[in-house]
Amino acid sequence: MSKALFAGLLPLAALFHFSAATAADAAKGDPNAGRTLVYTCSGCHGVAGYENAYPHYHVPRIAGQNYDYLVAALTEYKKGERSHPTMRAQGESLSDKDISDIAAYLSSLTP
Amino acid sequence: MKMIQTICLLAACSFATGAAGAETISAEAIQAKAKTCAACHGEDGNASASPMYPRLAGQYHDYLARALHEYKSGERKNAIMAGFATTLSEAEIQGLADYFGHLPGKLDDLSHHH
Repeated sequence: MSKALFAGLLPLAALFHFSAATAADAAKGDPNAGRTLVYTCSGCHGVAGYENAYPHYHVPRIAGQNYDYLVAALTEYKKGERSHPTMRAQGESLSDKDISDIAAYLSSLTP
Repeated sequence: MKMIQTICLLAACSFATGAAGAETISAEAIQAKAKTCAACHGEDGNASASPMYPRLAGQYHDYLARALHEYKSGERKNAIMAGFATTLSEAEIQGLADYFGHLPGKLDDLSHHH
C-alpha cells in the first residue's frame, strides 16, 4: 500500500472507530438488570481470595473492570474461544443482552 | 536400586536446573518492560482511556501471570497479547504480574457489592 493511500485511509479509520464507539455507548447494557444476573458470579468472584481449583490461581477481581473488555471476555467464553470450563458454561447460558447488562453493572462499581 | 538412584539423580538435576532457571530481574527492568503494557493498559494500569482493554491495577498477581502464560502458550488467543507474551521469560511474567497487581486501582471482588 502506498504511503499516500495509507495516509488517506487513516482519517477514515478514525471516523469508523469513533462511530463504532458511539454506537457501543448507545447499546450499553442495563446495570439494574445486570445486578440481578451477577448473583451467580458471586459464588466465585464474590469470595475474597477465592482460588481456582486447578491450576491454582485467584479468580480475577471483576468489579470495576472496563465495560468493553467484560463484554469481549464473556462473549469469548460464550463462543468457546476462551477455555475455562466453568466460565464457558456460564457464557453459554447468557444472551448478548445478559452479557451487556452484566458488563454495565460490573463496570459501574467503584470501591 | 540402581534405577532408584538414577531417578533420584535425575530429579536432583531437574531441581537444580529449575533453581538456576529462576533468574532474578531488577525492579528497573520490570518497570521498563511495563512501559510497553502502558500503551494500552495505561501508565497506571487502569486502562481508563481505553475501555476495550482490561484494567490490570490491583488485579490478583497470580491471575495476571496465568493470563500471560495462557497468551504465551496460545491457550488464550489474542494477536496483540500473544506478540508480547511470547517474548517474556518466566521471571518477566512474574515481575510484571507482581508490578501491576500492586498498583492501586478500581478492581475489587464482588464481596462488597451485594
